[in-house]
Amino acid sequence: MSHLSSRISRTDHASASTQIYDAVIVGSGVAGSILANELGRQGFSVLVLEAGPGNDLSIAEYEASVERFYLSASKDNNSPYAVNRNAPMPRGQETVKLQPGRPNADGYIVQNGPLELDSTYTRVVGGTTRHWEGKALRLIPEDFEMRTRHGQGLDWPLKYETLKSYYAKAEAEIGVSADVEDQGYLGISFEPGYVYPMRKIPISYLDQVIGKNLDGAKVELDGETFSLVVRSTPQARNGVPHPGYDNGKGYVAPSAVSTHQDEMGQRCQGNNNCVPICPVQAKYDARRTLVKALETGRVHLLSQTVVSRVHIDSGNGRVTHIEYKAYKDLHGKEHSAGTVKARVFILAANAVENARLMLASGLPGSSGLVGRNLMDHAYLLTWALMPEIVGTMRGSQCTSGIEELRGGAFRRKQAAFRAGIHNDGWGWATGAPYTDLLALVDDQNKFGRALQRGLVDRISRQLLLDFMVEVLPDPANRITVDPDHRDQLGNMRPVLSYRLNDYTLDGVAFARQLSRRIYQRLGAEDHTTYSPQEPGWVDYQGGGFVIRGGNHWAGTHLMGSSPKNSVVDANQRSWDYPNLYLAGSGSMPSIGTANTTLTLAALCLISAGHIAKELRSAPTAAAAR
Amino acid sequence: MGLSRITSVEELHRHLYAALQLEHATIPAYLTALYSIHPGTNTEAVHILRAVAVEEMLHLTLAANILNAVGGTPDLTRPDFVPVFPTFLPDGETDFEVGLQRFSKEALATFLKIERPGHAPEGAPRTVRRPKKPGKSVLHASHTGKDAEEHFYSIGEFYDEISRSLATLHEDLSHQGRTLFVGDPARQITPEFYYSGGGELIAVTDLASAQAAIRLISEQGEGKGKAIFDYEGELSHYYRFEQLLLGRYYQTGDKAGHPTGAPIAVDWKSVYPIKANARLSDYAEGSELREAAFEFNRSYRDLLEMLTRAFTGEPRLLTAAVGDMFRIKELFLRLMRNPMDGTGTLHAAPPFEIASVTEVRK
Amino acid sequence: MSGDRAEFEKFLGLSEVLTGFTKFRLQGTGQGALYFSTLTDVVGQGTAGELLQAWSGVAAAAGQDEGKLERLMRSEILSHEKLGPIARNLIKLWFVGTWYQLPAAWREVFGTPERDRSFVPAASSYVEGLLWPTIGANPTGAKGPGYGTWADPPNIPKV
Repeated sequence: MSHLSSRISRTDHASASTQIYDAVIVGSGVAGSILANELGRQGFSVLVLEAGPGNDLSIAEYEASVERFYLSASKDNNSPYAVNRNAPMPRGQETVKLQPGRPNADGYIVQNGPLELDSTYTRVVGGTTRHWEGKALRLIPEDFEMRTRHGQGLDWPLKYETLKSYYAKAEAEIGVSADVEDQGYLGISFEPGYVYPMRKIPISYLDQVIGKNLDGAKVELDGETFSLVVRSTPQARNGVPHPGYDNGKGYVAPSAVSTHQDEMGQRCQGNNNCVPICPVQAKYDARRTLVKALETGRVHLLSQTVVSRVHIDSGNGRVTHIEYKAYKDLHGKEHSAGTVKARVFILAANAVENARLMLASGLPGSSGLVGRNLMDHAYLLTWALMPEIVGTMRGSQCTSGIEELRGGAFRRKQAAFRAGIHNDGWGWATGAPYTDLLALVDDQNKFGRALQRGLVDRISRQLLLDFMVEVLPDPANRITVDPDHRDQLGNMRPVLSYRLNDYTLDGVAFARQLSRRIYQRLGAEDHTTYSPQEPGWVDYQGGGFVIRGGNHWAGTHLMGSSPKNSVVDANQRSWDYPNLYLAGSGSMPSIGTANTTLTLAALCLISAGHIAKELRSAPTAAAAR
Repeated sequence: MGLSRITSVEELHRHLYAALQLEHATIPAYLTALYSIHPGTNTEAVHILRAVAVEEMLHLTLAANILNAVGGTPDLTRPDFVPVFPTFLPDGETDFEVGLQRFSKEALATFLKIERPGHAPEGAPRTVRRPKKPGKSVLHASHTGKDAEEHFYSIGEFYDEISRSLATLHEDLSHQGRTLFVGDPARQITPEFYYSGGGELIAVTDLASAQAAIRLISEQGEGKGKAIFDYEGELSHYYRFEQLLLGRYYQTGDKAGHPTGAPIAVDWKSVYPIKANARLSDYAEGSELREAAFEFNRSYRDLLEMLTRAFTGEPRLLTAAVGDMFRIKELFLRLMRNPMDGTGTLHAAPPFEIASVTEVRK
Repeated sequence: MSGDRAEFEKFLGLSEVLTGFTKFRLQGTGQGALYFSTLTDVVGQGTAGELLQAWSGVAAAAGQDEGKLERLMRSEILSHEKLGPIARNLIKLWFVGTWYQLPAAWREVFGTPERDRSFVPAASSYVEGLLWPTIGANPTGAKGPGYGTWADPPNIPKV
C-alpha cells in the first residue's frame, strides 16, 4: 500500500538544529498544518514540531488508534490515543467535583475552579481535529462587533466581510459539506455564486421528525420574535462533491491519509463516531493538510518533540530560538534537549498550550493578557424520549441544529446560543447506550427478547439537544503556570481558573426553558436532571444546571487593535515580539456560537499570506534560499 | 458470432455486457477471500483485497457508463449475469477457473491468473476457441454456438479489441453523419455519485472519455506492458496480490518479481475454514444456515436489481446500493463464522446462486 | 463430542436464552469461543461449570415450555447469589463486548478473581456487540451503514 509519497523530505533532530528555517511551527494541528502547507507551497522552508507521537502518518498508526478505541472500556474522546506521560493530555474523566479552595491537580490540567471544566484536547499529530466532531459553522457578522453592537465583550480588529473569502478558502481546505441556501441566516453572506465544496450531508430521520413538528415555532425574546427551523449543519466530512463548485470546476473530495483504493476517505458512512475517531477518515483531520505540506518537500516534521521554552533577544525583542525536549518513548522520561532556529516562529499548539508555553518562558506580554480571557462554550445538555421510534444512534453525530438564537438585540442582556440535535442519543449526558443496557439488565431484570424490546424502547426514541451557549472574555478566566505542577519532562502544566458570569447563565436558563417548550411541542418525555454533586454544577436562582465544556478553548492570546488591549494583531503577530506569531483560537476575541476550527483556519490563512510577505520582504529572504 | 472482431454496434454492446460480467465475476471471489480472514488479523492482506474489490466495483461502473454511452442497457439481473462458481472467465486461458474460496495461497494463485498481464504472443491468434466442457459454467457472452466458445487470450486483449472497435465504429458512423455515442447522458454515473481514492469515475460521452475509461479499467487490473506501476503511480492488481505471496511490498524502481519494500506478514491460519463454492444444497433443508444462505442470495439479487436501476437512469440509487453492500457484508460474515457441523472444521459460506431466488419467485 | 465441545454447546444454549439471539446469530459474531474462554478465565472453570450445570438442569426441566424456562431461569440462575451476576455479565458481554467487573457484593462473598476487571476481550468483541443490531444501528465507530442511510426511517428488527 502507499505510504507517504517519496517527495517528502525527512529530517532528524541533529540536522534540524543546524539549519535556519524560514519558519518553525509549534504544533501540527489544524492551525500549524495550514500555516505549514501555505508557507511550504510558497517556497519557504518550514519545521513543524509536534509534542505527540505519530511521525509516520501511516494507515497502520491510524488503525491502531481505531483499535485502541474499540478496546477501551471508557471510550472517552481521547481513548483512541495512547497515554503519553511526556506530552500528557487532559481527559474528561479527570474532571471531578472540586472542594472549595482545593485545586484538583490529579489530571494534566490543574483545575483551580471555582467551576470545573471537562474540556479536553489531543496532543498527537493532527491535534484535536483527530477527535473533533467536524461542525464547520461560520461566526455571524455581529460576533465580530460585540462591543459596538451589543455593548458586551470585545470587538475584533477585523470584520466578517474581511474574513468572508478566507472562510471560503478554509471550507475548501477542510472540505465542508453544506448547501449555501441553508446557511445565509443572521447576516451570514457569501461571495457571489459561492457554493460549498460538497452538498449538505443528508439530515437524519430524527431531524426530519423534529422539523415536521417544530418548524415555524415562535419564540419571543427581548421584543423580537424568532421563528425556529431545523437547519442542516455544515460539516467537515466527505459528502457528495458539488459539480458547481468553483464556477463549475467541481471539487475533488479529499482522500484519507496514507491510503488509497480503500473504503477510507470516501463519503461519510454514518459510523456515528466523529468524536473520538472516524474509522474511515471521512472526517477532516489536520493530517490531510499536513501531508500536503510535507509533500511540498520543504516542510519537515519532528514529532515526540515538546517545546519547553521560547527565547527572546532582550536587545531587539526578537525570538532567537526555541528549546525542546525530544523523548524516546511515551512512558520513560529519557529525552534529549535541543534548540531550533528560524526567521519566524509560530506557536500553534492551541489556546491552552500556547499560553502555557509563553508563561513558562516568562513571557506574559506587555499587556499582561497572555493566558487571560480564556473562553469555551458553555454546553447545557437536555434530553428526552420522543413519542415514537426515531432510530436514534444512526448517522454522523449531528446533522442539524437550531440557529435562530445565535444573534439578536437580546445579546446586550444575555448570551446567544444554538442547539445541536444529536443523532447519538443521550450518550454525552448519560453514557447511553451502555447505561441503558446496565439499567435494563441489573435493575429491571430483563433478559432475552424482553431485553431486546426494552433496548429499542429505551434507546431508539432518545433525543438530546445540546445548547451551545456563548461565553464572553473574562480576564479572570485564565491559564497560568506553577513551578509546583510539572509533567514528567519537567514542563510546567497548565493551571486553569474558570467561572461563568450571569450573562452566560441567563442564556443557559433561557435555553433550558426553550428546551421544555420544544419537548412540549414534540410530545417528548423530558428526562433532563442535573445534580449539585456533578462537576460543572452552577447555582442559578435557587436551582441550577450542569455545564459541560465544548473543547473550544479560545481567547488566551486574543487579537486586538493595540498592544494595550490584546496580545496579537489581526495577523496573529505578537505585538511584543515581531517575529513571533501566536496562531489559533487563542487569538479569537469572541467565540459567539460557532465551534472555533473553521474560524481559526480562516485566520491562519490570513496569517500565512502576511507571513509570506514578511519573509519575502525581509533582507535575508534571498540569501536564505 | 464470437467474441473476436467487433464489426457492429450490436457486437460492441455484447462485448461491453461481457465486460460487465467479467468485472463483476471477480468480486464474489475477492470478497469471499477477504471476508474469510479473521477480524483484526492479516491487515495488509485485508487492505489489498479490499482495495482491489473496490476497484472492481469502479470498473463495473465504468463498463456500465461505456455501455450506456453507446446506447446499450446494463442489465445485471439477466439470468446468466452471475456465473455459477467455479467458472471460466471470458479470456483465453484454459488453465484455471475462478472459484469462491478462503484466503489461501491457492486463492491468490488464482487471483494472479485473473489479473495476469499478457498479450498474445506475436503472430498468434488473439482468440482461442475451445469446446464447451459439460457441467462447467461459462460466462454467457462467450457462447459462440451450441458446442463451442470463443475467448480472448487475455483480459488485456479483450479490452484492446473493445477500444479498437470504439474508434473504428465511431469513425464509420461519423462518415455517415451519425454518432456512436447516442446514449442518454443522464444515465452516466458521475463522480458525484461514486468516488474513492481508487480512481475517478469517468462520465462517458464521447470517444475520448470512452477510451479513458477503458484505459483505467485495464491498467488498474493487469497493468500496462511491463510496468508494475501505472501512469498514476499505482500498483496494478497483479503486483498487489503478488506482494502477499512474496511477503514484501513493491516500491518505486522495483523490478517485477523482486519487491524490495517493507515486509508483509501473512498469517494463513487466521482464516475461517469455509466450504469452497458452497451451494444452497449444502445446508440442510429448514436449518438456520439454509435460511441465512438463501437470505444472502436474495439480498445479493436485490443488490443487482438496485445497481441495474442505478445504471439505467436512477444514478442516485447508487448511494442506497452502497448501503446494501454493507448489509450484505454482515450476512457474509455471519455465515462464515458458523460451523457447518459439530466439529467446526468446515464453516458455511454464501452460495451466490441468484437462480435460487428467481426460482422461488416463480 | 468432546467434553469441552459439550460445555461450549451448553454455553451457547444458555447464551441463547440470556440474549434472545439464536446460536446462528451468536456464532455469527465470531465471539463465541472467546467469550466462553473469557468466562472460564475470569471466574474459573469450577464456577463456570456450576453455571453451565445449573443451565443444563433448567433446560432439561423446562423442555419446550417457554414460560417454565423463564421462571426457572429466574429462580435457578438469575436470582442465584453466585450465578446471577455472572449470567448478567454474559448478557452484557454479548451486547456490548465488555466484561464488567463483578459487583462488589459478589466479590466480597466469592472472592476477587485476578482477571475480574472491566475489559473488552478483543477489538472485534466491541464491533460485534449485539446491542446495535437490536436497535437497527451500528456500533459507534464501526460497520457504518453507508452514506445517507440515516435519512430513511429506521429498520429495527421485530422481536
